Amino acid sequence: MTSEDREHFIEQVRTYHAGLRGFVRSLGVDPLWVDDVAQEAFIVAYNRLDEFERGRDFGAWLRGIARNLVINERRKDARRKRILSDNLTDVLLSSSSASDHEPEEMGDDALARLNALKECVRGLPEKSLRLLKCRYEEEQSAQDIAEEFAMNPPAVRKALERLRTSLRECMEQRIRLTPAHG
Amino acid sequence: MKPIPTEDDLIRQLLHGEACESVFADLSKKASENPGLASRLANELGFSELLRQALGSTDTDPVTEFEAALEGRSLPIEELLHRVHEGSVNRHECDQVVKALWSDPEAARNLRRSLVEDEWLRQAVSESKGETAFIESLETRMWAETRQDHFVEDFALRLEREIPAEVPGSEEDKIIPFPGGWGFSLFKLGAAAAAIALGAFLAAELAAGRLASSGVAGSIVNSTSDAVWTSGASPRQDGTLRPGIYELKSGVVSLKLNGGGELSVEGPARFEVGEDASAEVHAGIALARLPEGENRSEARRQATKLKSRGLSVSEPARLIGIDAREEQATEAVVFNGDGGICLGASGKCRDLSEFEAVKVDHLRDRLVDVPYNPRAFSKAWELLAGVEDKLGPVRVELPGSVISAAGGVAGEVQVFVENDTFETAGTMEVDRVVAGEFAVAGENPGESLETRGPMRSYLLQLTPSGAGESSDEVETSLTFAHPVVGVIFSSDRLENSDATVGTNVVSIEGDSLRRGLESGEDEILLSEDRRTLNLRFRGGEGKAEQVRVLVALN
Repeated sequence: MTSEDREHFIEQVRTYHAGLRGFVRSLGVDPLWVDDVAQEAFIVAYNRLDEFERGRDFGAWLRGIARNLVINERRKDARRKRILSDNLTDVLLSSSSASDHEPEEMGDDALARLNALKECVRGLPEKSLRLLKCRYEEEQSAQDIAEEFAMNPPAVRKALERLRTSLRECMEQRIRLTPAHG
Repeated sequence: MKPIPTEDDLIRQLLHGEACESVFADLSKKASENPGLASRLANELGFSELLRQALGSTDTDPVTEFEAALEGRSLPIEELLHRVHEGSVNRHECDQVVKALWSDPEAARNLRRSLVEDEWLRQAVSESKGETAFIESLETRMWAETRQDHFVEDFALRLEREIPAEVPGSEEDKIIPFPGGWGFSLFKLGAAAAAIALGAFLAAELAAGRLASSGVAGSIVNSTSDAVWTSGASPRQDGTLRPGIYELKSGVVSLKLNGGGELSVEGPARFEVGEDASAEVHAGIALARLPEGENRSEARRQATKLKSRGLSVSEPARLIGIDAREEQATEAVVFNGDGGICLGASGKCRDLSEFEAVKVDHLRDRLVDVPYNPRAFSKAWELLAGVEDKLGPVRVELPGSVISAAGGVAGEVQVFVENDTFETAGTMEVDRVVAGEFAVAGENPGESLETRGPMRSYLLQLTPSGAGESSDEVETSLTFAHPVVGVIFSSDRLENSDATVGTNVVSIEGDSLRRGLESGEDEILLSEDRRTLNLRFRGGEGKAEQVRVLVALN
């Protein structure tokens, strides 16, 4: 492998990690293990980089590797699995594309979308940001958040749902406004 | 017109869990009229049960499973999906979700989409899930798993540049210091693991005689008001800790072990204190601060032997956290200093530098690099940081947080522990604040603080909520575990004392910022017992304001 190949690989990691992690999660991988599986996919890809034909869709190739890793999870001893449930992963795998061509939100536009989302998160009011951080940074359950915010769990879920909806809209709007999507 | 279902159709529906009331009624009627069908039905159902048992995990508590199944069945699909998002869904709940999704491919696609969003939100709001953390973790893992690749060369070159050549020393020196090369490091870690295995053996031997011992192994130093212990697994009334197992239902407690190590534990937690000043965290969150000293490694090793579910701290860092909340995984995080972690007596070890974290799965056969995410330790850190109480919009920042003169969240006071133990020779110039007297912070004559013994330095920073001069007034009160011996709120004195306390404030480019309280509108009151500092921020001119607080540790 040449140093040029290595440089290229590092660039690919930077370009595709966000989408790949989203893709891995979308197959029912336990949130605690998402990065682990995604990193494993990159390591497999790195070790097999000689097999990759330049010019092919690198993102799709990576997703194919990750998909196989997730399929293999189902064969593991229950205690070693990194997925939430075999059945759930089955149903999610069946709704993913066998050729690993995914809708844009799971595919190669992921980085642009993630950056747009970060911008939207920056514009949130303080309380909303706290709520979001409790859930997605501190990984607290709705029950725990409810206690912290003196709310009830259904209200927390509702608030998070509303936040997600508004962030999704904001992200889509920002994406539409970027020159590439002109 | 719908075709009339055959006996086979009805049995299939029953076995696939798709039978409705009418199917049950049909089958019951047909089986009562046909003994052959009844026998076949019984056989099929019996076989289904056998299959379930054959496929089920042998180490799962059937009562728990049953309760989970009952709960899952009664939950609406929205709740179940929420649990999928949280990652807290159990097998039975998953099956309920799957049933709903099989018949609705669009719902499955929507779930995938929302799971992607979840993942992105994590990446968007959490620095520890950011690109840098991911790539750094990937690099380390690549080294660990692909040995022959360029990462090894790169790391070796970097280490050669950054770490001076090792000088031959004592036998202990060969085991402990930071590595000069990866191969050598593995050898050393192997040796450290062997030492830990021996330590664990000795600890077990000590534990055998634990009940007979009446020695005090440590004591509770502090606890939050919501701290509740499990009856029969609590400290004595005088706060002393004997060797044994303790269960904290809720709240946070800090304790000091005989060796000098401090431990802050957040409930629900279960931990064990050994006669040899060791601590083992069986569940919950724990943060350990180990003493500084001339021979730091040795002092810390003597101070606390820390373990958690097969994970041993081989090289104690100054501040190290254990997150053992999840049954499936235990995390260790180094906040300050260099440390090392081993997988029990397996010999698998990892060096950990500041702000690095590893996770071990519950099989305890693998150490995996994970992004640094200190948030879980927020509450434990507050107590260990020596902030006993706080009122108003105050946040105690975690170790590693950047002190930026640009400020933080609007309307909030951030508390940074700049230096948790330091000593200076001579005097320090501080602002004059008389205990028990209300003072307006403005031009201040100052006074010399004669420094004796170890001190801790906090930096309080208010970010105004409004722009320009329209900032809202912010009132806050902080109670420290140690007496306040000096307060600095003048910009010049803040600047002059930065080097002494060893802080690094990131300033805004091109801004000649006055960091202190010069407006003459802010007020300070230090209580007579010198433990509580009340602050009323009124000025600020739209910029962040800082106050340095020095406490005496002895």
